[in-house]
Amino acid sequence: MADDQPPKRPHAEGADAGWAAIGYLLGGMLVWGGVGWLIDKWLGLPNVGLLIGLIGGAAAGVYLTVKRLDG
Amino acid sequence: MITQPGFLASEFPPGPEVFDYKTLIPSLEGSPWGHAFTKLTLLVWIAVAIVIVFFLVTYRNPTLVPSKKQWLAESVYGVVRNNIATDIIGPQGVRFAPYLATIFCFVFVTNLWSIVPFAQISPNSHLAFPAVLAVLTWFVYIGLGIKKHGFFGYLKHACVQPGVPLAVQPILIPIEFISNLVLRPITLAVRLFANMFAGHMILLVFTLGGVALWNAGPLLLKPAALGSWAFAIIMTLFELFILSLQAYVFTLLSATYFQSSISEEH
Repeated sequence: MADDQPPKRPHAEGADAGWAAIGYLLGGMLVWGGVGWLIDKWLGLPNVGLLIGLIGGAAAGVYLTVKRLDG
Repeated sequence: MITQPGFLASEFPPGPEVFDYKTLIPSLEGSPWGHAFTKLTLLVWIAVAIVIVFFLVTYRNPTLVPSKKQWLAESVYGVVRNNIATDIIGPQGVRFAPYLATIFCFVFVTNLWSIVPFAQISPNSHLAFPAVLAVLTWFVYIGLGIKKHGFFGYLKHACVQPGVPLAVQPILIPIEFISNLVLRPITLAVRLFANMFAGHMILLVFTLGGVALWNAGPLLLKPAALGSWAFAIIMTLFELFILSLQAYVFTLLSATYFQSSISEEH
């Protein structure tokens, strides 16, 4: 459906993708790090959930960025 | 050269309190309305007046062969319309050109205050001003998305990345939600605010640092003071570059968000 606009913004796309990547990485760590932290608080764990959440969230953010830039 | 004002140097490492301005109307001192009439709000009003008067005057008698003023106004609007609106959003982007051009001119002129002599502070170095602009853009792109896709349709459009295995979606959807619907206005506002805040700080450090070095006493330090002032001038030119760039980036990202709201797919 997107090809009714064939001249795809040549230079602006870079800025768009860059900020989107930052948003995803930040969002991933924020969301899943936050969830992990809450689980830590709930179960009284020593920051295990926070760590797993941060790393997992960052990985998910990278995955989303790659997906978005591919498509 | 006789007696440098000592108080300037005593304030030397400038802190965030340099961004606090007293009210311009003495009788409002201390009341909540005091903050509504400071140097910063005055600069905002002047900026608004400048933009309105500029476009009214330059478009009053438009001629086919434009005058110099008309050419300037037309090229500002033309750049926003062609290089931002239509380039990013596509042919239908023309209808957003007025909004984007307004945002661009407002941010540019308010940013410009940071290097205009005697003003020398940008209202955008207070988070409140960029925040209002960012929230405005936020409302517009969410409104556009809801109008185009319906409420739940837009939520799906903004939060669900197509072509991803279903099992991974629950991990990704919260991230998409946060970064597309929550973080965007925040980063938009903070980017502009932080750039103008840091720019003002840098200019203060080099200017006041020069005064501090000059007053420090040893003759050996005087050339260092001159060097500091020279660098303040260089940083002022750099600030001109940064403030134009930030006005452009703010407009560009607003356009990008509009595009993502009205596009059929990601």
